[in-house]
Amino acid sequence: MSADEGGERAVDEATAGSGAAGAEAGRRRTPLQRMLGRLPTIAWLTLMWVILWGDPSPGTVVAGAGVATAGYAAAKLPHLPVGLRFRPLHVLLLVGHIVWDMFASSVQVSVHALWRPERMRGVIVEVPMRTDSDLLLAMVTGGLSLITGSLVIELNREEGVLYVHGTPIESERSVRQLRRQVRRTEKLFVWAFGTAADIEEFEREERREAEREARGAAEALPGAAEADDKEDPR
Amino acid sequence: MTAADVVTAVTLPLGALFAFVGTVGLVRFPTLLGRVHAATKPDTVALILILVGAACQLPDVRVAALLALAALFQMLTVPVLAQTIGRVAYSRGEISEEHMVGDELAEALERGDRPEHRPGRLDEPT
Repeated sequence: MSADEGGERAVDEATAGSGAAGAEAGRRRTPLQRMLGRLPTIAWLTLMWVILWGDPSPGTVVAGAGVATAGYAAAKLPHLPVGLRFRPLHVLLLVGHIVWDMFASSVQVSVHALWRPERMRGVIVEVPMRTDSDLLLAMVTGGLSLITGSLVIELNREEGVLYVHGTPIESERSVRQLRRQVRRTEKLFVWAFGTAADIEEFEREERREAEREARGAAEALPGAAEADDKEDPR
Repeated sequence: MTAADVVTAVTLPLGALFAFVGTVGLVRFPTLLGRVHAATKPDTVALILILVGAACQLPDVRVAALLALAALFQMLTVPVLAQTIGRVAYSRGEISEEHMVGDELAEALERGDRPEHRPGRLDEPT
């Protein structure tokens, strides 16, 4: 997940709405708008073409745009209703966080690889997600699996729950840390790429969670989860 | 020795070290999921470090863009690979209980109160 990717999508935000609303808007577009909507993808494909040729001359650019357009038309790629925003500051924060996490946890796993690997324990935790946007969930899942020591095993889309395998786990504390890390990654992704509506929903979910905890109605959650939810008002 | 040389002198051996340790982990970790962690993620860090080191020695910035593209696609594909292996490993029961502190996915499956999570769905060969 890098800034390039987000930048490419960011152009397309006129009718930003998540899920079904975005698709509706897509159907009502005029041909010109539809062409404009495909432009970012064409631009990205052309950029890759130019990079691969290693030669930014006008001829290469034109040829690249031609190939990209032809490829797009031949593959009949759909226009994705991309409901994403791009907040440079938060993206920087997110990239910094992921780079740091990748590095730190790689060191951690490396230590375990060299020193008593047979003692390394893992855990699969259930982490409820607060966002309901498909794209954001996909990004969070990818981001988590990129970081060493966390790996998304299963995603319950209906209820928005991630099942994350984490390692190395030494104690209850590292289980709590894993949960907190997952939720922090989610928050960073929502703030970096979510639309205003996504953020609003995220915060609504957060308030609802806080209320549920206040009422003490932590239904059927295992002990560890309850303890964690109380500690994790974020 | 320029600043670029210093960066290369640090990142290249460090990258090689990460790649090496990742491979050691691949051999030494007892569980499949542990091996997936060791095989995919330290290698990504290693590759990025090595690419950064290599980019500092290039005479031309345009070639560095090519290296950046390699890093980008590594970062986009590794999660997919790791997740696919992880999911298949789990659904095939390739997880050893003794190396797990807890498994809330198994608990959720046992509760069986989630339509999406009937064991049958997980057991499907992916």
